Amino acid sequence: MKRFLRTFSNGIIRENPLLMLMIGLCSALAVTTATANGLGMGLSMTFVLLMSEIVISSFRKLIPESIRIPIFIIVIAAFTTIIDYVLKAYFPDLSKAMGVFIPLIVVNCIIMGRVEGFASKKPLRDAIPDALGMGLGYTWVLTGISAIRELLGNGTILNIRIMPDSYQPILFFVLSPGGFFVFALFIAFNLWLKSRLKPVQEEQA
Amino acid sequence: MTLFKIFISAFLIDNVILMRFLALCPFIGMSSDEDKSVGMGLAVIFVTLLATSATWPLYHFVLKPLGLEFLQILVFILIIAALVQLVEFYLKKSAPALYASMGIYLALITTNCAILAVTFDNISKGYNFAESLVYAFGVASGFMLSLLLLAGVRNRIKTSPIPAFLKGTPILFVAASLLSMAFMGFSGLVK
Amino acid sequence: MKNMVKLGFIMAVYATVACVSLAFVYTGTQKVIAERQKADLEAALKDLFPQGESFEEITGTLQSPDTSVAFKNEYVIKKDNAPIGVAVRGVGASYGGPVTVLVGVGADGKIAGVKVLENKDTPGLGANAANPSYFVDRASGITFYGQFKGKSLSDPFEVKGDVIAITASTITSKAVTRVVKTAGQTAGAWLAAQTGGSK
Repeated sequence: MKRFLRTFSNGIIRENPLLMLMIGLCSALAVTTATANGLGMGLSMTFVLLMSEIVISSFRKLIPESIRIPIFIIVIAAFTTIIDYVLKAYFPDLSKAMGVFIPLIVVNCIIMGRVEGFASKKPLRDAIPDALGMGLGYTWVLTGISAIRELLGNGTILNIRIMPDSYQPILFFVLSPGGFFVFALFIAFNLWLKSRLKPVQEEQA
Repeated sequence: MTLFKIFISAFLIDNVILMRFLALCPFIGMSSDEDKSVGMGLAVIFVTLLATSATWPLYHFVLKPLGLEFLQILVFILIIAALVQLVEFYLKKSAPALYASMGIYLALITTNCAILAVTFDNISKGYNFAESLVYAFGVASGFMLSLLLLAGVRNRIKTSPIPAFLKGTPILFVAASLLSMAFMGFSGLVK
Repeated sequence: MKNMVKLGFIMAVYATVACVSLAFVYTGTQKVIAERQKADLEAALKDLFPQGESFEEITGTLQSPDTSVAFKNEYVIKKDNAPIGVAVRGVGASYGGPVTVLVGVGADGKIAGVKVLENKDTPGLGANAANPSYFVDRASGITFYGQFKGKSLSDPFEVKGDVIAITASTITSKAVTRVVKTAGQTAGAWLAAQTGGSK
């Protein structure tokens, strides 16, 4: 259990894919104009990551080294297609809002990175918490960024009015420049957190 | 839509990095100097054009007539991966210096969201073959343009006083934010 | 050589399994997608023509005279087996991308209603074309698309003239108006011919 938790928590903070490892950025900025979209994207990506890691970890002894990349691609692409059609059928508004970024999950560096560097070498009981941790780490950052952008740019979160009626939405935040800007602040904040936490961790080590 | 309009829209108005947030990894990773930006940019233009030439006909003459549209994601990404392998192979043999200087970023072109996005857009926007090629060229050139712009900005950042909490990556994103705002000014360019 | 064949075979196995699974998911979800699209269309048409009893797709019957507006689908709405209206799903170029508008025309030579189905314009600006809480006329609570209801097809359809624009979104306003005018007038003419002249 402890091992499960340790691997799981790794993806959430210590090695958060977006803020620490700086991968999988593309979808992070484009879809974060509304909290529902950020959350939806995060969960979709987590699904593809989890299923891909499960399949590849389970079959890792049956995947020849020399053709592993194409096989990884086949598996990831298959699950991406599945989530694409499932969203189209059951969550069409979300599917339309996220547009081309759903199919783009297949080239999300996080998934390929974890599958190649982790799932293909570790047993299932490590692959599952890793996928969940990385996926949720990605999801919380995405949801956080979207919440801020939606709140400041539209006065709402999940389309529920939070800001008082007199609040004049700052359109900047839901437009492209705003995305870059909020992300810059997130990274800065995370770097600051890292610098505060490190000395404490080293003391304990 | 005339071919010129398609090009300008892809190149400036809907700039792939600054307006659509695609291809961010190489944007941050390969813009540290102008030479790398040009090298990466040209490689991306080449692969994008090749990818379009391969995927567009494949979709219209094989996938669609056979009702296999759902294999689009799978097939397209495999084609791009294969093309990048071929380019790598070819470069290794005929231009080893260039190959060495690009390092891992050459292989990473496979996961370049922009290229896959272009192949998808060609289909969803209903472009014919010529329009697709022009669009692909526009997007990839826009990619190179943004890279060069950021490389230039990074040069200036080296000698500017940056607040401590923004040093490193955050200031790059703030710079990108400003570039993005500038590019928004292109919106009214084409009616 | 033998090794390559073996590798190729293994890859083919993975690929086949993937394709077959995808085929299953695809056929399964297609049903749901098709049903949902049908339900959405029925709801939209009912909204425009509350007295309509049935509708029939007549896509391909109408041709857009304006090259910048494309007719994607056309439907004739019937009551007691007689046509009482026509709806056209038209697409035109707007600010941030294409805008899809459903235009309903009644047999009385007037617009029965307009629905902005899809648009990619800026939220807070052009996107308000489809916003049910954005009013072009606060006093009477008329939305941008609502103002077209009951409008005569022989009106000039000039933005800032007989059509109220969305604040700071003239391009979007003009785009939607253009689709409404083109679709409305073409459909109206066709319907008049069908019913033997407007009442």
